[in-house]
Amino acid sequence: MNPEVPNPNRVLVIDDSESIHKLVIARLRPENIEVIGEIDGERGIERAVADQPDLILLDIGLPNVDGFEVCRRLKEHPATRGIPVIFLTGTADTESKVRGLDLGAVDYVTKPFDQVELRARVRAALRAKRLQDILEQQSHLDGLTGLWNRRYLDQRLESELNVARRYGRPLSLVLVDVDHFKRVNDDYGHLFGDIVLQGIAEGLRAYARRSDIVARYGGEEFAILLTDTNLRSAMYVSERLRSSAEGRHFEARTEVVSVTASFGVACTEHLAAELTPEALLKASDLALYASKDAGRNCVHLYRSGELILSTGNPGALGDDENETS
Amino acid sequence: MGSIRSTYEDDPDMLEIVREFASELPARVAKIEAQLEAGALRDLQTLAHQLKGAGGGYGFPQITEFAASLESALKQGADDAVVKDRANALCALLRAVAVPEQK
Repeated sequence: MNPEVPNPNRVLVIDDSESIHKLVIARLRPENIEVIGEIDGERGIERAVADQPDLILLDIGLPNVDGFEVCRRLKEHPATRGIPVIFLTGTADTESKVRGLDLGAVDYVTKPFDQVELRARVRAALRAKRLQDILEQQSHLDGLTGLWNRRYLDQRLESELNVARRYGRPLSLVLVDVDHFKRVNDDYGHLFGDIVLQGIAEGLRAYARRSDIVARYGGEEFAILLTDTNLRSAMYVSERLRSSAEGRHFEARTEVVSVTASFGVACTEHLAAELTPEALLKASDLALYASKDAGRNCVHLYRSGELILSTGNPGALGDDENETS
Repeated sequence: MGSIRSTYEDDPDMLEIVREFASELPARVAKIEAQLEAGALRDLQTLAHQLKGAGGGYGFPQITEFAASLESALKQGADDAVVKDRANALCALLRAVAVPEQK
């Protein structure tokens, strides 16, 4: 789930009339948009949270919860706040238009709608949404390496821990620190140091799995969040990343420089403490320090207070561990 | 019957859903009559509001016009006689809608 191109656009229609759903589907067909629909406000909100559409077309006259209230809740909910809302409604008075726009809708279209106009307004809203997504993504990226930045990793750590807790799934965190980086900087200059960081980052991204969240955590430190991954799998990934770093060479004028990195791995299934972001970070950090103390260029695992060296020791976790993935 | 045709009959994107919409209209007529009979004016207003929103989109601007007139009578709490007149006018119009042939 590292930065990539956006998916095709998806539009959620919340309208109590099936006739309108069909009409919108037919009229948006030339735009190559996926249209999904709900006929009730509550379900519409749930659907928006779950499916994360790029745009919501919202009716006002809905049974139970009216469209204004739906819009208010969508704009309040962190998971749906950024999704643009266009009111698509038979209610045409100025007061309703003002109220809808003031609640955070980007546009207001009255029914019966003109198909050409609706398409143009949908395109405009989707364009703005795309720019907003790009800005948001950029604010989460590290400028030097193109990896996620620390702010993003901290956010994801928090939300993935919630998922891990709720569904009892393992979550692993790997901290990586480039060995003797200060010496590299001192000997070859900061520009060369930057090239090294970019190279290491490229290796981490290339050898991590698609679902791993790879971030620059600060300075010469990187962090990788491995969702749905137990300690044993995290160990395999880390060893692979370690040897990829070790095998990388950098040319400094006449010299070829190689750089190594140290790794610390912890998993929610083997924490001695409560499942908090701080506890997981602390455990990975302890394991990272153990790798530094052991001479660097190696991986240590934190298992319930114990620090285990896995490099050169593939049986570090034993063979009979009852683990699932 | 069948004198009122959708302006979108010849639009291949629309033909299928216009057919569906038009063929569901008799059921809506029955609903309007039942609601009128039972004095379920709120439900009637919802139905009028929906027809107002959908009619024009399906190529029947007259449905939008007649349904809007019924909706506004209900909204303003007009006399029963006015409501009844406008509801009947809408029903007569809906009955006159032609279901387009499949092509």
